[in-house]
Amino acid sequence: METVIAGFSALLDALIQVLRPLGISEPVFQFMLVSAILGLSIYLTLITGMFSLANAGFMAIGAYTGVILTQEAGWSLAGSLVGGMLAAGLVALPVGLPVLRLRDIYLAIATIGFGEIVRIVALNFDDTVSSLLTSLNGERTAFELLNGARGIIGIPRLTQTWMLVFFLIVIIGLILRLHRSRLGRAMVAIRQDEKAAASMGINVVYVKNVVFILSAMLAGAAGVFNGHLTRIVTPTAFDFGRTVDILAFAVLGGTSTVAGPVVGGMALAALPEVLRFLDEFRGVFNGLVLLLVIVFLPGGLVNPAGWRRAWQRVRARIRPASETAAD
Amino acid sequence: MQKMRGVGLMLLIFSLVLPAVAQDAAATEEPFDMATMPGLWETCPTPASLSGDLTIGAIFIQTGNASVYGIPQTQAVELALAEINATGYLGAATLNVLVEDSAGDAEQAIAAMTKLVEEDGVLAVLGPTLSTEAFAADPIAQENGTVVMGVSNTARGITDMGEFVFRNSLPESSVIPGTVAGTTAALGLEAVGVLYGNDDDFTRSGYDVFRTELEANNVAILGEETFARGDTDFSAQLTNLLALEPQALVVSALAAEATQIIVQARDLGYTGPIIGGNGFNSPAIITNAGDAAEGVIVGAAWNAASADPYSLAWIEKYTEAYGSPPDQFATQAYTGAWLLATAIRCADSTDKTAIRDALAGISEFPSPLGLFAFDENRDPVHEPVVQIVQAGVFAVLETGE
Repeated sequence: METVIAGFSALLDALIQVLRPLGISEPVFQFMLVSAILGLSIYLTLITGMFSLANAGFMAIGAYTGVILTQEAGWSLAGSLVGGMLAAGLVALPVGLPVLRLRDIYLAIATIGFGEIVRIVALNFDDTVSSLLTSLNGERTAFELLNGARGIIGIPRLTQTWMLVFFLIVIIGLILRLHRSRLGRAMVAIRQDEKAAASMGINVVYVKNVVFILSAMLAGAAGVFNGHLTRIVTPTAFDFGRTVDILAFAVLGGTSTVAGPVVGGMALAALPEVLRFLDEFRGVFNGLVLLLVIVFLPGGLVNPAGWRRAWQRVRARIRPASETAAD
Repeated sequence: MQKMRGVGLMLLIFSLVLPAVAQDAAATEEPFDMATMPGLWETCPTPASLSGDLTIGAIFIQTGNASVYGIPQTQAVELALAEINATGYLGAATLNVLVEDSAGDAEQAIAAMTKLVEEDGVLAVLGPTLSTEAFAADPIAQENGTVVMGVSNTARGITDMGEFVFRNSLPESSVIPGTVAGTTAALGLEAVGVLYGNDDDFTRSGYDVFRTELEANNVAILGEETFARGDTDFSAQLTNLLALEPQALVVSALAAEATQIIVQARDLGYTGPIIGGNGFNSPAIITNAGDAAEGVIVGAAWNAASADPYSLAWIEKYTEAYGSPPDQFATQAYTGAWLLATAIRCADSTDKTAIRDALAGISEFPSPLGLFAFDENRDPVHEPVVQIVQAGVFAVLETGE
């Protein structure tokens, strides 16, 4: 097992050496892989027709749980990965049951609200517990676990590149398997027409909740990995901006295949570093790339039909008008 | 007609190029006032073994909301390096800086630090701007054995990350005790109301220190209220606090919220003192709050009204270069660049461990912040100041000690 990991790591090191001239160093590559996992998390809900924006909240739950398990309880990273995923999944269950009755923009607003609640709970958790303890004990009692706005600092960097690649490959394999399963077909049916799916005997509430929980668990896993990469977990890292980023992974990559959000996540995480040579203009170019993809490739980067259509449009421009008429 | 256009074009080109040339000439010809130049000119001899281009790195926020801090920091470092090179502080060597943007994001700070210390191989790094970025990125420099000096990190635990991690920005825990003790003595405080931002590590740390110090000085806290970053309406919290009739309002906030809090407290009829920390130490508070800022008391690492000759010279140089007076962030970044240059001068070597040891040994360093030294934890030691806004400017508060 160890020689396999060593060989795998050597292979990844070689890959990073190739990417380095582009500005992609090992930490950047690791954040690209975490973004790919987050992209897959929102992909699951999108292909079921649910516009859920709760991913940053579940990522926060995973990150806090995972970091507390390795730091306070002394668990290994593998154990805390399972713990973080379970915690996110357990929270997703009671949240999903009422919230998933909503559709479209209403679901989006409700799930944004959930993300904000997670962030604000993380901010005020210690203060609330201390004041509860103070009123119970009758004397001022300090309680420190999440450290409010200061966050948890000094986390060792336990996540390694091979773990992320291995996790991503396993997840992609499972999702490909899911597409061909009964649940996967039910997910597609619900996206196409929820009422028709229900009248054909699909348990819509069950399928939606299972997908919501799976999506939450993936976001939780990304949170555990991310916390052990950045060495600091603060509530501000999981604000609304993070949610928009995750949605952009799926929009840029496209959701027609499982490769879409993976490519989208990796591309968007790499872009600011690849464009570093542009100095203060890199934000502008970053936005420009996103805009061009959305305008010219509406189905995302990984979408063969979209590329074909874009190519046909380019070809029509290049050819003289007479020839186009003859087609 | 053709000729006329040609002449016009020539004139246009001259008018664009000439002032630039004239300015350059002025910059190089102007003799430096060496009496007010920072640096340990006497203690360490001019380095003999250094030559060529030396490079340090800087991670400052250039884009996004927090670039209001990062851009003055970058300008200050560039000004410091121009002086260091023009005065031959490093002998035959020229000191350059590679500035990387972190956009206020921990992940980008990690990428920028990895690039600077592993690929560019810089001698030392200034920054990152925010404490959250420092907690993420500084361990990379520590593992690489490269000095990193925070010039605006005030959170608890920054220098605990390792022996290569320094900072020259006074934490709130060094500034606030003097502020509370000084104002308690000067105003005879017995009971105050506290307002703080609870979703930001800086304002939250400030509140923790304020509370400890108020208790230590036997000042009763009548009530506490909180707000979030980006809030613009504080009237509910202020009304609650003012109903308790405090002698003073103690506020832990950043400049944007601080201005609104001052204005709204005055609108509610409050005339007493408002006491703040480092976050209040910006000329913008006075310009934006106007008359409402009268009587605001600010504890800070640096006083723009200080009569210190180094400070006066610095303000003049920065204002001349960039058209507006420097704030505390620019002053700390300027001092930081001079400190790194001094470590390189005193080490007389490009060995990173030698630079670290020389930096740790710096004491009695004359700077705009006052006489500067590092303590054994690589934290800054210099006198903080207590200021009060009087007649539209910061003045030193007479504490009667």
